[in-house]
Amino acid sequence: MEYSILFGGKAGQGPNILSIILSKTLTQKGYFVFLSRDYQSLIRGGHNFNVLTFSDKPVYSNKSKIDLIVALDENTIEIHKKELNKDGIILFKKDVESMYFLGRLYKILGLDFLELENQLKEIEKNFEENVKDAKQGYDEEKRIVCKVKSEKNKLSFKNGNQGISEGAIKSGLDLYYAYPMTPATNVLTELAEKQIKNNHLVLELESEIAVINTGIGSAITGAKTMIGTSGGGFDLMTEALSLTGMARVPLVIYLASRPGPSTGVATYTSQGDLGLARYSGHGEFNKMILAPGNPKEAEELTNQAFYFSQKFKIPVIILSDKHLAESFFSYNENPKLIKSLKSTNLRRYNSYEMDKFGCATEDAKIIKKNVDERLKLQKEISEEAEKFKQFEVYGKKSKNIVVGWGSTKGAILDAIKDLSIEFLQFLYLEPFPIKTKKFLEGKNIILIENNSTAQLGKLIAEKTGIITHEKNKILKYDGRPFFSDELKLEIKKRMIK
Amino acid sequence: MKEKKENTNQEINTPIIPTWCPGCFNFQILAGIKSSLLKQFEQGKKKEDFAIVTGIGCHAKIFDYINLNGINTLHGRVLPTCLGIKIGNPNLNVLGFSGDGDAYAEGMEHLIYAARYNADFKYFVHNNQVFALTIAQPTPVTEKGYIDKTNPLGVKFNPINPIKIMLSAGAGFVARIFAEKSQIEWIFEEAMKHKGFAFIEILQPCIIFHNDQGYKNRTYNLQENNHDKTNLKQAFEKAEEFDYNIINEKTKIPIGIFYQEEKPTIEEQYPQLKKLKEDKKSWKDIQR
Repeated sequence: MEYSILFGGKAGQGPNILSIILSKTLTQKGYFVFLSRDYQSLIRGGHNFNVLTFSDKPVYSNKSKIDLIVALDENTIEIHKKELNKDGIILFKKDVESMYFLGRLYKILGLDFLELENQLKEIEKNFEENVKDAKQGYDEEKRIVCKVKSEKNKLSFKNGNQGISEGAIKSGLDLYYAYPMTPATNVLTELAEKQIKNNHLVLELESEIAVINTGIGSAITGAKTMIGTSGGGFDLMTEALSLTGMARVPLVIYLASRPGPSTGVATYTSQGDLGLARYSGHGEFNKMILAPGNPKEAEELTNQAFYFSQKFKIPVIILSDKHLAESFFSYNENPKLIKSLKSTNLRRYNSYEMDKFGCATEDAKIIKKNVDERLKLQKEISEEAEKFKQFEVYGKKSKNIVVGWGSTKGAILDAIKDLSIEFLQFLYLEPFPIKTKKFLEGKNIILIENNSTAQLGKLIAEKTGIITHEKNKILKYDGRPFFSDELKLEIKKRMIK
Repeated sequence: MKEKKENTNQEINTPIIPTWCPGCFNFQILAGIKSSLLKQFEQGKKKEDFAIVTGIGCHAKIFDYINLNGINTLHGRVLPTCLGIKIGNPNLNVLGFSGDGDAYAEGMEHLIYAARYNADFKYFVHNNQVFALTIAQPTPVTEKGYIDKTNPLGVKFNPINPIKIMLSAGAGFVARIFAEKSQIEWIFEEAMKHKGFAFIEILQPCIIFHNDQGYKNRTYNLQENNHDKTNLKQAFEKAEEFDYNIINEKTKIPIGIFYQEEKPTIEEQYPQLKKLKEDKKSWKDIQR
């Protein structure tokens, strides 16, 4: 079984919190949940909604159709009724509190009221009022549409940003610096909340330029240091990013994308910054780009980012986007983590090419030697990276292969469930895993990206010489993630026999 | 070529021969900082207890002539780098050096915030009122009317007054001196005694592009003239006396400590950093 619920309303009415409460109960019952969030750049009013898809089998994305709409305002019905399945349900009532709807919903899903009461207890705030409102809804509702039982799965429930934060903490994070910018901000709040318990420090500084330069100062003292931002903030950091490449500074950089150019669409999603990450910083220097596709991979790749940054004293970029950062997943695999040592001591560092005394130099021989060392390092990084899972291949062996990276993973996996097709997911984008070439050669490549210029396609072409046919590029660039059912149709259209 | 001397443990000289112009006032600053450091070593501090951060410009060459750990960082980013080092290891004595372009043009946002954060490090601004290393362009503290190749019509704007900016931003130690070894030694010691961010502007006339050596004869010492450095209003009045425009026979340039007040430092206010300081540890020593 699979069931989709849309929670819609004005910002401040709480569609987000309602959907998270139900998701937690469902996850505890052993159901797989995927919960996405669509919100506008405003604080009160407007129209926000969350879409919760749950199933007794793994589910990683939403479909375009909805089984039930929780309408916290009339506007929600207007906007979303066309997405409702036949026999779908709309829950709406004027002049009731939000928790009333959650009561009705728990009844409809055949959940015990006690399950809801337990969740409300955890929130603490307004407990008695919340229980009263929810009970009213629970008692008024008479339908039971979908009986949720207990499944045996033991599941984690996290969003991408929580995966990043967990990965950082478990890798021995000492310092995190940031300037608020959606969709990276809740790594800042998540890590800030845990700083005393975990004995790390989180500081919000005056600008992204200050963030990376303070990060560099701390990293050269030996502290495990991470910074986080989105595209515009990352732009500001790039001069200093180049310094980390020159001075060999171990720094982990979280880049959570949203649609650009410029301020773009602040609270929506895009994979438009792969090119930015690849070409960021002037001059030629070493960096890595890792791209998780779900919260578990976010935790693992953040862990590997610390490992590589410390081992080779380089900047490592974790590239995510709003759809991964702020969507919740439930999953049953445990992340595999490795230990990284603190490699760096305070010595003499320089933004100039430097000699053995740490002093600036213009000596041709030394310049060439330094550049050669950086080139040698590039090889060493690539060799070490080969010891890690740089890409994943899913699905059934076929002439057809879907290729993607990052947050599209969920929709792709759900879309290809019943198709005879392979799926190649890139986890490492820099260094490029050249072994992927043999999976691509001679295949009908179907490229799926949440951007308008097929940036992964360009990277693959540059590194392997393999070009994806224009008609085989499935690109979405309206700020919204892919729906698995629509994606399935698009993939099928392009498959060959 | 003679074999260069390897750096021994407490050796603060590097084998690099300075490339400042002959007679540059930066030599005075270098001599003053070196003798101040040696005095600190005599009093028990070690070379490893210090870190040096410099920006980009003539001032930054000082990094190559003093053998301390640290970083010759990007133009304008000395202050966030100092902050990062201080947070990374709160037990270090961090010394930042900037030029006036570095501090007042590209790095201005950080200057305001350094005063606000009040991390315990010392910041020396070599103010020669000109971008010297890029050949004579005006900085935010160059006088109105200054003419160079980039401004053939003359600079149309009044210079900013960094002393007033620092007083307004809430800096706990605001000083100006002239680039003379003995003055450097005096202010270094005063700044080291102060707990918190110390802003020290050093008037360092550029003998090639902004030769205002007359400055020195126009200076008078605040501390020898009954200035109350705990009085913010008086500090502002003294800061008003010199507006960085071209000088004449009436100009008086106050030097010394304009204002001093100890305020809580960033290291004292975060329990994580306070603990590191108490335990004499850095984050590097924390094993997880």
